[in-house]
Amino acid sequence: MKYIKAAAATAALALAAAACGGGSDDSDGAGQSPAQLKVWMMGDGTPEQTEFLEGVEAEFKQKHPNTDVVVKYVPWPQVATTFQKAAAGGEGPDVTELGNTDVQSHIEQGSLADITDRFESWADHDKLNKTALENDRSGGKTYAVPWYGGVRAVWYRKDWFEELNIQPPKNWAELTAAAKKIQDAKKVPGIGAPSDQTNALLSFIWGNGGEVAVKENGKFVGKLDQPQAVEAIEYYTGLVTKEKVAPAKYIGKNELEGPQRDFALGKLGMYIDGSWALKEMKKISDKDADKWGVFPIPAKNGGNAPVMAGGSDLAVWADSKAKDAAFDYITVLNNAKNAKAWADYSGFSSMRSDVSFSNPALAAFTEIARNTKFPPMSAGWGEFEQAKKVLPNAVKAIMQGRPAAEELKKANEQANTLLNP
Amino acid sequence: MIDTAPAVRKAPGRKAPSGRARRPRRRRTGRRHGPYLLIAPTVVVIAVLMFWPVVQLGIMSFQKVGNRQLRGEPAENVGTANFEAILGDPFFWQTLRQTVLFAIVAVSATLVLGTLTGLLLNRLGRRMSRFVAGGVMVAWATPPVTAAIIFSWLFGTTGGLVNWFLDLLPDALVGGGWSDFNWFASPLPTYTVLTVCVVWQSCPFVAVSVLAGLKSLPGELYEAARVDGAGPWRAFWKITFPLLKPIFMVLVVMSVIWDFKVFTQLFIMAGMANRDAFNLSLYAYSEAFGSLNPKLGMGSAIALVLTAILLVVTAVYVRVMVRQGETE
Repeated sequence: MKYIKAAAATAALALAAAACGGGSDDSDGAGQSPAQLKVWMMGDGTPEQTEFLEGVEAEFKQKHPNTDVVVKYVPWPQVATTFQKAAAGGEGPDVTELGNTDVQSHIEQGSLADITDRFESWADHDKLNKTALENDRSGGKTYAVPWYGGVRAVWYRKDWFEELNIQPPKNWAELTAAAKKIQDAKKVPGIGAPSDQTNALLSFIWGNGGEVAVKENGKFVGKLDQPQAVEAIEYYTGLVTKEKVAPAKYIGKNELEGPQRDFALGKLGMYIDGSWALKEMKKISDKDADKWGVFPIPAKNGGNAPVMAGGSDLAVWADSKAKDAAFDYITVLNNAKNAKAWADYSGFSSMRSDVSFSNPALAAFTEIARNTKFPPMSAGWGEFEQAKKVLPNAVKAIMQGRPAAEELKKANEQANTLLNP
Repeated sequence: MIDTAPAVRKAPGRKAPSGRARRPRRRRTGRRHGPYLLIAPTVVVIAVLMFWPVVQLGIMSFQKVGNRQLRGEPAENVGTANFEAILGDPFFWQTLRQTVLFAIVAVSATLVLGTLTGLLLNRLGRRMSRFVAGGVMVAWATPPVTAAIIFSWLFGTTGGLVNWFLDLLPDALVGGGWSDFNWFASPLPTYTVLTVCVVWQSCPFVAVSVLAGLKSLPGELYEAARVDGAGPWRAFWKITFPLLKPIFMVLVVMSVIWDFKVFTQLFIMAGMANRDAFNLSLYAYSEAFGSLNPKLGMGSAIALVLTAILLVVTAVYVRVMVRQGETE
């Protein structure tokens, strides 16, 4: 026993010494070039993305010639567990991409470095989208930088609309009518309305003047039981249950588990997805690719519904030993030239006001992106939307015949508790 | 190694009085430590990889553990709050009911089908038996992730083989409208597919175990039974089952444990967006790892409840079986 104790004590001392040593070497890494800069990118990564990032690295090396940039791709489904491991094991990145709905959770957990001063002294800091930047702030401090954003719209078949003499729908009634016409003439479901697609559902709620929750006196108060939200969700679920223009086979699924594939194969009239879907659908089948078009998600009484500004931000990890170099990397990755190259490759809109798409086919998305909105900026949104999937499960239950008012009352109670962690 | 050899050789003679008398004269230390030394490596590995995590799980189930605590902040002790939250949540009881019902159905189906396959393998000729056994072992060797993906494709809505086939059958037989049937929209169809998938994968183990048992049974017993006019049904219940009871006991306990904690297949088939189809494992996962705000304390508490249930079920079952063995 004595030996074990002695060994444990020695080990502990050694560890402590090592930790101290590491700390005193570069407490904040001010003005230094580390040997290695770890960059985490979300998603599976592609050869094109790697090539783009190599260009960024070359540019970054002009200032930090001795720093080796190591990029790691984290697939989206593994994001939560990978960040948990990073927090537990201390093996985190220096710079990381973050899904914008996760930023508030990260700030609340203390995993992001405060970059307020560095951000303010960056020459381009006033070029960034103000709404998106708001989501990166907490308590007057800045923790992340908006990088790119994506908005959703309704994908449709231009040839079918022309043949059946349908105009792109401007309100809900026209959307239903268009779906019905396609369904009758083409013998395919008119529109896809999966239950697990909160980002699209939000546009219907907002397009009817409703909200998920709003901040009142510093607390989030759920608004899902209000008539505007109830009516919007009844419309969305009614596409399946009442109008029968959306198939029941997408209940319990998201837009990638059926609708995207079916639309690309010509087995679905319309479905809601973002600009990035074009690339993916071409992989499934590019036979009809030139016949695909998009129109904005309509509001109930006409006009474009506000769309959820999904997207990604860039942040410096709290445990990084080289925060200055890390921020330098962000400024290179998100300078005007690289932001444009990235937007053109990825199909996502840049969050810089001075950058737009080169491809005219995606111009519609630039227009749609003018009217964006955020879900409640609460650290509890992750729990509400990812762990408990409150809205998807409520929508599913309603699509399977449960009364909407009752389900949304329950969902609203959960919003009241979960969004105020 | 030198010490253990005499200990092992000694064993058969233990009942003989002469053996017992001679025992004190053997080197005592060797006999005492030898067996323990032999199992020590296993115990150490299990302790590090199994017991310690279980102890941590137990500690965490009484704490609030999130990302902040993972970064090294001390975890706040919340007493039994996690357990109170779980047991007071009707959703927990729903997942528990689904877990138990699934286990009952899947274990019964696995044992029946597995035993039948084992009996079939025993009666087949050598070549055919090897062929069937090979096919059965492929199912056993398929990783759960692969099997789950294959089954969710088979039962998929666009291009799924099962829906296509059901649609081809006459409507009078199976009803119409199969081509777009969504198997994963509600719990019952989801669990039907899950049961088929899990049983398909786990009955080979039962089949091979039963086959091994059958090979060891003396053929004369069956000959005698046949002379006395017993059919295969009677022969099975009067000869095979009583003799192979220990094997069946082990198989039942193992199947119960496996089917109680099915996770991978359900996770892939239904995922996080279908909470109405959750079982206990998925519930624990969604609490612990579902979002960027992990609640590892809650997850641990659920996992601990699951472990406790399994221990009780197993203990009760083993006790019943052992008692039965004694009285017979």
